[in-house]
Amino acid sequence: MLRVLGGEQITVRLADPSTGDTNSQLGLEPPTVSDVQIAPAVVQVAPPAKDGTLRIQVLVSAKALQPIADSYGVTNIPDWLLHSQGLLYHGQLVPIATVVTNQFAGGEYLYLLTATE
Amino acid sequence: MQATKDTFYVTVRDRLVAVDPQRTIIIDGVTRPAILVAENEPPGGGPPLCDAFYLYWGGARAVQPAVSTLMEMECTISYRTKGTDQSGNLDRGRALASLDNDVLAICAPPNAEKCDYSTGADVDLSSTIFWTQPVFSALVNAPPYLGRDVSITVFFYPEVNQT
Repeated sequence: MLRVLGGEQITVRLADPSTGDTNSQLGLEPPTVSDVQIAPAVVQVAPPAKDGTLRIQVLVSAKALQPIADSYGVTNIPDWLLHSQGLLYHGQLVPIATVVTNQFAGGEYLYLLTATE
Repeated sequence: MQATKDTFYVTVRDRLVAVDPQRTIIIDGVTRPAILVAENEPPGGGPPLCDAFYLYWGGARAVQPAVSTLMEMECTISYRTKGTDQSGNLDRGRALASLDNDVLAICAPPNAEKCDYSTGADVDLSSTIFWTQPVFSALVNAPPYLGRDVSITVFFYPEVNQT
């Protein structure tokens, strides 16, 4: 279904494991990041919020996301996405605000991400 | 001001490790004491974690401008919990009391030697910061969470050559 609707690719920016030392906790040492490509995905630019901020909605399948999450040792995908740095959209980093999980027969099959500036 | 903020955080963090070493969180794959400064974390870092202390810095002003250079700065420590799933979240009041106890413990004694951490090492600035007793707000009941804000006023002498 996602391929029929466009089959785009999205990039999620994740912070690499922190050193956890005092400098990183004091904001002196920024974490390094990894950009992870996820496909297929459907990207839709939602009507902007009242204050004009950009809102993006992304549909991504669990099948595409699960192997990537597994490689990071992630068990809770929505929580993992919410704590990522955000989506890269035309070079702009847009934080993920909500993740809605669709389930069928006890299994997750689709995630709806909403990212806002 | 930055040295005051850094010193206060490092002091209460180290005290938390001493009084409640089990109270930890995992951020970016690393286990660390469950206390963090909100302004030092990514802006889109998701909702606040449960059972963790978040430090928010507020306004600052001279205490008695005509008399002294002493300044005061507001600090709010926020935290929330939902108890444990094993007890059906019925222990959220007890969990909050445990967090309250930790706040009391890490805020005493109410002073610390001020250090400059901007170079990556702690450089003693031969000065002291001190603070008021914590003031606990009413419970913030947002089911399933139970939380609280704690207000503290931190006093310090600003360093002229300090950022």
